[in-house]
Amino acid sequence: MLLLTGTLPIEEKTLLVGTIKFDGKSLYIGNKVFGNEMVSIGATAMMAAAATTCETLQLEPPLAAVAGDLGQGDGSTLLYTYLTEDASTTGASTITMHYILPIRKGFMEFIEMLDYWEKRPFMIADAGSMLIAKATGSCKKFDLFTPDAGEICFLADPEAGHPAYVKSMFFAIDTTDVPYLIQEAYKYNNAPRYLLVKGPTDFIVDEGKIIYTISEPNIPVLEPIGGTGDTITGILSALIGGGYDPIKACLIAARANRLAGQLANPTPATRVAEIINYIGKAVKQVIDSL
Amino acid sequence: MSKGAEGYTRALFLFELFKDAMQAEHTLRKAGFNIKTGAPPPEVRTGCDLAISVPSQDVNAAEKVLKENDIPILDVVFTFEEELPPLQLSQLVKRVDFGNYLMIRVGNMKLTFEKKSGVIVNISGGGCPDIPLLGLKMIGKPLDKAPQPNEVGYTLCAYTLQKAYEHAVEAWKKVKK
Repeated sequence: MLLLTGTLPIEEKTLLVGTIKFDGKSLYIGNKVFGNEMVSIGATAMMAAAATTCETLQLEPPLAAVAGDLGQGDGSTLLYTYLTEDASTTGASTITMHYILPIRKGFMEFIEMLDYWEKRPFMIADAGSMLIAKATGSCKKFDLFTPDAGEICFLADPEAGHPAYVKSMFFAIDTTDVPYLIQEAYKYNNAPRYLLVKGPTDFIVDEGKIIYTISEPNIPVLEPIGGTGDTITGILSALIGGGYDPIKACLIAARANRLAGQLANPTPATRVAEIINYIGKAVKQVIDSL
Repeated sequence: MSKGAEGYTRALFLFELFKDAMQAEHTLRKAGFNIKTGAPPPEVRTGCDLAISVPSQDVNAAEKVLKENDIPILDVVFTFEEELPPLQLSQLVKRVDFGNYLMIRVGNMKLTFEKKSGVIVNISGGGCPDIPLLGLKMIGKPLDKAPQPNEVGYTLCAYTLQKAYEHAVEAWKKVKK
C-alpha cells in the first residue's frame, strides 16, 4: 500500500488521513473534497497523478496523510508526529514525503522510528522532504529522490543546506552537465540508491550509475508549469507502491509524464490539472509499448 | 541559553522560521550590532534556515534586543567560525524566453509571466508549505497587483521566490518600454 504525505495550503491545521480519489476535476481525501484550483498546487498534484495511475492500472488506491500549513510549520509538525507514531499501523510498503517544512527534530524522530517498522517501507522524497533529508545527512535512509535541476545542483554541492546556498559553479551547469552533478551527489552521500533527475533530459540512476536517459517527447513548455515534477513523483510512487521495480517505475513515469504533457498540447500558461487528465491514457500507452 | 561563550569568537542565533531570522537581521543591524548572516553549521541545520552571528561578547545584549522585539530564538550556539556560508541568490538567476512568456528562475524557484499583460501564469519549484499558498495567491494576477512573496511567505523558498518576483518585475518593465 502507498502512503503519500504532504502539507496543503489551507487554514485547517488538523491531520487528515484518507483514501485518495481523483475524478478528473476534484481530489478527494476521505470525505474531504479539494477543487480544481487546489489540484494544480504541490502535494495535491502529486496525489492526483498517483490516484489516476492506480485507477488506470487497477492498483489499490493510495492513502494520504495531509495537514494544513501556510509556512509556519504547524501542519508539518502534525505530519511528522503522525509518521512517527501512527504511520506504521497503515502497513504502507511505500511512503512518499513531499511538501513539508524542514523541522529537524520531527523529521529525525520519524527517520529513527523507521528502523522499528516490521518491514521497512520503500522511502521516496521530493520537495521539502528532500531538503531536510540532505540537511540532516539522512539521504541514505531513503530509497529514491526525484530532484529537478535546482535540486540536483543542491544535492551535488556538499556544503549547501538549501538550494539558495548552492555555489554558482553548480547552478551554472545544472542542465548542461547533470552526470557530473549526479556523481558529486553520490560522492558525498547526498543521494539515496535511486535518483530520477527531472529536466530537459530525465536521468534514471542506480547507485550513481545512469541506467536510462529520456528526452522524448521533448516538450520545453512543461518546465515552467508548476506541478509537472510533482506528477512524475506521483506516477512512480503509484507504480512502486503497486509492486513495480523502481527503475522500471521511473522509466514509465518519466515517459508517461512527457506523453501526458504532449497530449495536453500545453503553453507556459497551462495548469498541471489539465495535464493530469491525460496521465491515465499516457501511463497505459507507455506500459503497452514496453 | 547564552552561556559558556568564553574563547569563542562568534555567537550564532538560530530561528525556527526563516522570517524570524530576516526580522532579527533587520533589528540587530538597526541596533548597531556587527552581524553576519549565512547557513547554520551542518549539525544544527534544517535546510530552510538562516543564522545570524554576532561577536560572542555581544551575545547577551543582542539576545535582549531580540526578546524586546518579540523575535523568538530557537537556540544560540557558539563558534570559532568568522564567516558563514552566504546566500548565493544574486548569482543563481536564469531566464528562459518562451515567446509570449518569460520564465525567471532563481535557485530552485521559477516564476513565469505573460510579457504583454504581466500576468503570472505559473510558479514552480520549492519545497516549503508556503509555496503552494503563494501559487494560489499569485497565479492569475499581474505582477504589479499580486501579493509579494515576502508579504505572505515565511521560508527561504518564499524568500527565493521573492527574488524571482523582483527579477520578473524588472524584466516586465523593460518589455513594456
